[in-house]
Amino acid sequence: MSLLLLVAGLALVPLAVRDSFFLNAAIHVFLLGTAALGWNLIGGYAGQLSFGHAVFFGVGAYTSSVLLTRHGVWPWVGGPVGAALAVGLSLVIGAATFRLRRHFFALATLALAEITRITFLNWTYVEAAIGLYLPLHYRGRLAYLMWDGKVPYYLAGLALFAAALALTWWVDRTRMGLYLKATNQDADAAEALGLPTLRYKLWAMGASAALAALAGTLYAQYVLYIDPYTVMASRISLLVVVMALIGGRGTVFGPALGAAFIVLLSEYTRTALGHLGQGYDFILFGALIMLLAIYEPRGLLGLGRRARPHRAVPVVEGSAPAPLPASGTPQDRVALRVEGLSKRFGGVAALEAVDLVVRQGEVLGLIGPNGAGKSTLFDCITGFQRPDRGRVVVDGADLTARPPHALAHAGVVRTFQLVRVFPELTALENLLVAQPHRGESVWQALRPPAPAVRARAEALLRRVGLAASREVPAGELSYGQQKVLALAMALMTQAPVILLDEPTAGVHPALIQELVAQIRALNAEGRTFVVIEHHMEVVNALAHRVYFLAGGRVLAEGTPEAVRQDPQVLHAYYGH
Amino acid sequence: MDLLVQAALNGLLLGLVYALVALGLSLIWGVMEVVNLAHAEYLMLAMYATYWLWALGRVDPLVAAPVVLPLFFLLGWLTYRVLIRRVLAAPMVSQIFATFGLLFFLRYSAFAAFGPNVRGIWQSHLAGSLTVGPWYVGVPQLAAALVALGAFALLWLFLNRTKTGKALQATAQDRVVAQTLGIDVEQMFALAWGIGIAAAALAGVFLMPFYQVSPTVGDAFLLIAFASVVLGGFGTVAGALVGGIGIGLVENVLGALIAPTFKLLFAFAVFVLMLLVRPQGLVGE
Repeated sequence: MSLLLLVAGLALVPLAVRDSFFLNAAIHVFLLGTAALGWNLIGGYAGQLSFGHAVFFGVGAYTSSVLLTRHGVWPWVGGPVGAALAVGLSLVIGAATFRLRRHFFALATLALAEITRITFLNWTYVEAAIGLYLPLHYRGRLAYLMWDGKVPYYLAGLALFAAALALTWWVDRTRMGLYLKATNQDADAAEALGLPTLRYKLWAMGASAALAALAGTLYAQYVLYIDPYTVMASRISLLVVVMALIGGRGTVFGPALGAAFIVLLSEYTRTALGHLGQGYDFILFGALIMLLAIYEPRGLLGLGRRARPHRAVPVVEGSAPAPLPASGTPQDRVALRVEGLSKRFGGVAALEAVDLVVRQGEVLGLIGPNGAGKSTLFDCITGFQRPDRGRVVVDGADLTARPPHALAHAGVVRTFQLVRVFPELTALENLLVAQPHRGESVWQALRPPAPAVRARAEALLRRVGLAASREVPAGELSYGQQKVLALAMALMTQAPVILLDEPTAGVHPALIQELVAQIRALNAEGRTFVVIEHHMEVVNALAHRVYFLAGGRVLAEGTPEAVRQDPQVLHAYYGH
Repeated sequence: MDLLVQAALNGLLLGLVYALVALGLSLIWGVMEVVNLAHAEYLMLAMYATYWLWALGRVDPLVAAPVVLPLFFLLGWLTYRVLIRRVLAAPMVSQIFATFGLLFFLRYSAFAAFGPNVRGIWQSHLAGSLTVGPWYVGVPQLAAALVALGAFALLWLFLNRTKTGKALQATAQDRVVAQTLGIDVEQMFALAWGIGIAAAALAGVFLMPFYQVSPTVGDAFLLIAFASVVLGGFGTVAGALVGGIGIGLVENVLGALIAPTFKLLFAFAVFVLMLLVRPQGLVGE
């Protein structure tokens, strides 16, 4: 609503103001702001920093301009073609670097920008360093997007800017926004919950490049002359980053605000200082980025937010230890089977031909000394590590070495030993990220969470005693509460098999009781659990069956009582 | 054939200089996992320092090195103390932003101070060329390559033969353990910055007799340094050496075979190829 009002208000401005200096500045705000909003999708929401957005801007400008000058193609067609090319280029870079650590993507975009500029400077088809003059078509103004006054450009720029704002606003309020933020905050945890993170990052990258390219097309239409120094300059890449960063990345209005601030500052210092102003504003921007990196990574909007009073974190009141609920009864059906799994790290065998069977409806305990390979086993089952040999079979389907989200889709979800939640999302949002992702398309992700899903998330929060903290960022919860939240997230996925890696480690003893009761109750409802646990009393209270691992091998298997008395287990634990 | 050998020779000499630029990038990443996007800006500043020493005082680059080197060691040290230390605990995103801001701060400060003109030195003791059979070797290029090789040898001795060097290696392997062993990790980080920036500055000094400086010279060198580090392997000294020579060879040989204008394109192609095929680099684990 406020968005509509803002755009309508801006559209009325030219009725009152005809000052061409102002209109020119405003057009720059709209066009660079569109590119900054595009940058924000990948750099702000998804947390993948691009330092080469000038490439996409330039590709957009060049594609439509070349099509227009050489083939007389309308920019209405040339613009989308340019956007498609930019998307293609961005996906190549993204696909090559998104699976690596973050700096690789940043480097690749930086390099891409440099290379593209050199290529265009030497490419005679696009007039190399001479640049392209767009032929004037003042007869078919709307068809050729060419006018002899500034007001139509103002309105066209505003339309594109509004579209970019609307897209960002839409992303922000649908699942897509949550998924991108979660991917940014902890990609592994997101994968473990079944989120195909690569797909969403690529989507954000593509949308981002398309917006920048469309802004480039309109820019070329406005200035009527382009060369690699203007539309592919590192200055544009920088401006776009600075705008998003200073305004507040990962927010809807931040980049727009930043664009207005930066362009106006730039234009006015230039008129005030003449040609001297050129470099000085960039020194200032550089210093500003450093300061923001140190003191306020969330930008100007973050500064504003900081001023607001902080919500107090509600404390969970401890409940009287209730009698343990009955646990479920294991079925004969095998839910998860591990066959001959081996994994070596250098010369060390972390797992040595491990066989494991998990029956539907049982709670399976996994015990053993530190370094026995328990967590590595979880990693290999859930696709975080690629086993050297052996198979992982879920419901009869071989899922060995598939990506983690594929395992989650098949119904196997894990938690981590050191708890991993999305610290800047609220408890409720954390659960919404954990909704089932199997068969979810990008189009579905572009819708808000379904009411039924939201209701289930609320119910789960109540069930684990976090209802009062639903609006609290997960990073501000206590460690024990985060563990409980992580369990609730695993439940939210509706996966029938849940792997818990030391659910009670680091948790307050009063909460452990509650956790054990929760797991037993869930098991009674039919969930299957595999639990790595060091507290023997917890194992005794939970597990139907126990595997004992040491040195990467399964040494014993059976009921907790039987395994406890096994001589090998005694030897491994007590050394006699 | 002669042309190819000549190109390879040029590539090898220039590659050693690239390796010297890449060294700091790799060392800093290896010790504290920070990517310094502003790395090549220090190279640019060192080139300006060398230029002005020559232009104002007729100080030859050979003589300038002992002045410029400690200055840039100090600059690297300060960069760590003032900026990097404050974002060390922050998410990687903040660290990347911090050095990105630094890049623009330094580059446009140079613009403001020295203007956009390209500047070069023309009367150095390092001039002329040697003839080896049918091939030519430029004296300034040879000097730069030998200096680079010497710097790598010294660094190797420092890292493996001195207590401080070993402490630096220990910090790179595990900073927590290093701290419990009584190593002042903060000092080690600052030292890595000092050495890394000084190495880039050394490259800058010896580039000056055959290369021109402008405020944007860092663009190409940053790319080349990153390509070298990715080719050789992030975080190791040997990786920087192997990668730098590799990029020098690829650039010059393919440049001679195909088109010299697209030299950087080949460096970038290697960069992307390595990311796809072997992101840990040639000598990385």
